[in-house]
Amino acid sequence: MHPQLEILLELQDLKTQQRELVEAAEDSSHEIERKVFRVRPEDAAAQLQAKIEEMEATLAPDIANRYRVILDRRARAVAPVLSGICYGCFMTVPTALPQSNEEIRWCEHCGSFLYFVD
Amino acid sequence: MQLTEFFTEDVIKLDLQGDHKDDILKELISLLKLSEKSEGILFKMLKRRENLGSTGIGRGIAIPHCRSLVVNHLRVAFGRAKDPIDFKAIDDKPVSFFFLIVAPPLEVSNQYLPVLGKIAQLCREPDVPEKLAKIETPAQFLELLDQKQV
Repeated sequence: MHPQLEILLELQDLKTQQRELVEAAEDSSHEIERKVFRVRPEDAAAQLQAKIEEMEATLAPDIANRYRVILDRRARAVAPVLSGICYGCFMTVPTALPQSNEEIRWCEHCGSFLYFVD
Repeated sequence: MQLTEFFTEDVIKLDLQGDHKDDILKELISLLKLSEKSEGILFKMLKRRENLGSTGIGRGIAIPHCRSLVVNHLRVAFGRAKDPIDFKAIDDKPVSFFFLIVAPPLEVSNQYLPVLGKIAQLCREPDVPEKLAKIETPAQFLELLDQKQV
């Protein structure tokens, strides 16, 4: 896997985790982290934010630019590809595009970075 | 929705060999049969979640969990350690039983939190740790889930 794609994947997973913690802090129906695991969502979200910023600083300039542009428009920068469909926009990924994570690729329709799921 | 819908015998291991938290997490991840790279990413995410606070909920049980793009649908696994290990659980007691839950960031059926909740509910039942200690085969684990109707 391309090392920058690996960072993008981790960033996205961290942001998802952070989003859920923020929801947990705001919505009692998402309180499992607080009630069962005794995690303080506010503190955990702040801890994750620090890690996210640290990792964003390790993105190459061209990747970081595209990442910021995508996040200005969309909630997630990386879209999984399943059965040839980009799950960022649900459009078909051209079959000519190599189905590999060894290179950084993006969707020609929505611009998301593409991650081809195993 | 019942937990038996998510567990199969091949994701149940009753003799985890690891004697450290990291080894146990890796063994649990290996039950999901992902690529080596995906396993590495998932391990990092689970560790990051553990760093926010242990998923050891007490009474010898831990529920490591996270969302990750490396899976395309909700995945679960169960493992029992040969010897209880220090997992920094909330009751400070060593942990023998591990329920792993991993889900993609977006799920059409939104099962992640309900499954996490059901496993937590199962683990709160007074007789569950003793029953988990006694099971001898993966099939018996599935029978236990069935009996408990969670």
